[in-house]
Amino acid sequence: MTLQECYAAMGGNYDEVIGRLRSEKLVQKFVLKFLNDGSYQLLLDSLAAGDREEAFRAAHTIKGVCANLGFDVLLASSEALTEALRDGRPPQPGEADLIARVEADYARTRQAIQAYQEGAGG
Amino acid sequence: MNALTQTANRQTILIVDDSEMNRAILADMLGNEFDILEAENGLEGVAMLQKHGPEISLVLLDIVMPEMDGFGVLNMMNKYHWIEDIPVIMISAERGSSHIERAFELGITDFIWRPFDALIVRHRVVNTILLYAKQKKLTAMVAEQIFEKEHRSSLMIDILSHIVEFRNGESGMHVQHVHTLTETLLKVVIQKTDKYHLSQTDITVISTASALHDVGKIAIPEEVLNKPGRLTDEEFAIMKTHSLVGANMLEALPSYQDEPLVRFAYQICRWHHERWDGRGYPDGLKGDEIPISAQIVALADVYDALTSQRVYKPAFSHEKAVSMILNGECGTFNPLLMDCLRDCADDIPRALDGDSFEERSRRELQNVARELHKHEELTASERTLELLEHERMKYSFFASLTQEIQFEYTVTPSSLILSTWGAERLGLPEVLMDPYQSMEANAIINAADRDSLADTLHSTTPGNPVVTYDCKLHLGGEDRWHRIIARASWSSEEPPRYTGCIGKALDTHSSRLQMEHLEQEASHDALTGLINRAYARKRIAERLADRPTGRYALAILDLDYFKSANDTYGHMFGDQVLKFLAERMRRSIRGGDIAARVGGDEFLIFLEYKDDLESTIEGIYNRVSGGVYEDFKISVSMGVASTEIVDGDYETLFRCADEALYVVKNSGKGHYSYYQKEHAPVGADISAVSPIDSEETKHDSEEAPK
Repeated sequence: MTLQECYAAMGGNYDEVIGRLRSEKLVQKFVLKFLNDGSYQLLLDSLAAGDREEAFRAAHTIKGVCANLGFDVLLASSEALTEALRDGRPPQPGEADLIARVEADYARTRQAIQAYQEGAGG
Repeated sequence: MNALTQTANRQTILIVDDSEMNRAILADMLGNEFDILEAENGLEGVAMLQKHGPEISLVLLDIVMPEMDGFGVLNMMNKYHWIEDIPVIMISAERGSSHIERAFELGITDFIWRPFDALIVRHRVVNTILLYAKQKKLTAMVAEQIFEKEHRSSLMIDILSHIVEFRNGESGMHVQHVHTLTETLLKVVIQKTDKYHLSQTDITVISTASALHDVGKIAIPEEVLNKPGRLTDEEFAIMKTHSLVGANMLEALPSYQDEPLVRFAYQICRWHHERWDGRGYPDGLKGDEIPISAQIVALADVYDALTSQRVYKPAFSHEKAVSMILNGECGTFNPLLMDCLRDCADDIPRALDGDSFEERSRRELQNVARELHKHEELTASERTLELLEHERMKYSFFASLTQEIQFEYTVTPSSLILSTWGAERLGLPEVLMDPYQSMEANAIINAADRDSLADTLHSTTPGNPVVTYDCKLHLGGEDRWHRIIARASWSSEEPPRYTGCIGKALDTHSSRLQMEHLEQEASHDALTGLINRAYARKRIAERLADRPTGRYALAILDLDYFKSANDTYGHMFGDQVLKFLAERMRRSIRGGDIAARVGGDEFLIFLEYKDDLESTIEGIYNRVSGGVYEDFKISVSMGVASTEIVDGDYETLFRCADEALYVVKNSGKGHYSYYQKEHAPVGADISAVSPIDSEETKHDSEEAPK
């Protein structure tokens, strides 16, 4: 699996990110690093604990990282969740759907990267 | 990637972002040209700024972060004026214009949106750093130019005035004399009146400008200027043009018209031949129409002309010159200036005498100092930062040399900065945010000590801010005594606010143990290991004072027939018996009780009781007395006084117990009795205690006094 195919699998924009970061090696390094980023776990934990402020920050961080790496699908869903959590807003109907979407998109992104990692031999 | 030291050409960039990924991406984008510092929230960022100061060339700042967000960091940077010297580029995915506006209002230089574009980030960072470097350079250049200009103008004055003097064939001292006289007179003027609104700076500038009073003589033909003998009317008319010519020369310097020096020089050149009564030249001004600068230089000029030798006249004495001026022989002057001349007449010869080369250099030095001072204001912030940086460098150098735990605590944001050695010793990071919440820090000092130290520091004053505090610190698995010496920092506002402290913790463990050992030696009886009488007295007095309502008893014990033990078996044996008895006593008392050797064969027990003193005393007595040590029969006489009967302090209790013991000794020994009020008046001159270390006693037992 190439990095380009990995981006296709997760619904990311490979051309855009290469255009910005200008180095496939750099992109590859950070795509793999994404697997170890703790923000997603922090998002789940703080949602479970009812700490909406921390959850906002975690969603915000995911959104920022996705924007930087061109993970467009996860970017869209994490951005929607970020806005729902902004300024300590109380839960609105449909928030559960937003969370479910982030979970699904995160799983998809993660699977794509893991597949790429195995394909890339490490 | 964390490089703490900045090499000559490398710039340091601080990245403050809570996402490690984002920091890493930024750091990678910036590549190897920069040294990167990272902070994962605003508080840490502020601590980094505090620690590294102007080493940091640029801050890349995220907005949304835990602990303290980007705006919080900007607020702190404004509060401490860091923002003036360290540019900030804000990085965020936030698109709201209110955010951007607020950030720019708080002094950021640029805004970069996520997602980053490697090229843009790089270019903006480089541009911003260059821009700031350029600005700093420009400031320095402007300062340099101002200095240069002033320097050149003073040089120009020197050259011009000397040219005039040379052409004039004068001694070369005239300009200096006029300078000194002008300055001397001006100082008297400002003491007498403030109607001329002269500042200290004006005095300096007018005195300097006075050197130019005859600059117009450059245009006077040589043969007129240096004609031996009196001038004809026609020649004098030519000569008189020099004042206007000089003024015109100065007016021809268009770009300097706002300079006080040029303004005063113009007045002086043009009007230093005007007179108070309007009979001078070139404009015939009267009274205070003539600027004060010109009035004074005119007077100085006349005085120096009178006291100097000219082709047409000899030099007059100082006294003669002053009296000629006061008599109006050289034209009319401002009456106020005449007063001033009278006042300082005596000082003038000395002032002119001191007008040596050294004097002049000193004055010039003062001028330079004044100029430098002006420049300092111009670049205050940068210079201050440089000085601070120097201090910081010095501090960390010395700190690295000493094996001491040095610390700096700041209240807002709550942070603890430790010296490198100190951090290693304590097993803490060099920068610790929120130390009150840190488990590691709290494991080192216990909360009571920490709070008590904080209270002590809080209760200092700016005038007396140093505190010494002894406590145990838990280090490397053991509790060790430390002496903490700290200096509280107070803000300069009114009332002063406590802002933190600096200080060090010295390991005093071994010296403290030694002290304790010495204390032990001083307070204990070497033979028996019981405490001695002096120490017992101290501890008992403390106990009594501690809880005056408690019920206490004091017993004095005396070993019967001890003298015969010594006599029969020798002193070595006697010592063994005393040790044996001491050991018995130790075993018979409870934890809080006090057992002491009073001296010789006398001992003391002090205890607190609740209800049943009788059985307690009986128990103790039976455990202590009776039986044998080897062949020696152990028999003890004991007198007891309790606070129920005796109302008083240690001394009283002791005396009463002693008295009860005396009664026992006189009634067959080998038993004990209580002090009863009826026995004898307290303080009666009877005692059973040997005088070995008791000055109040008279001994009456079978042993002879030792």
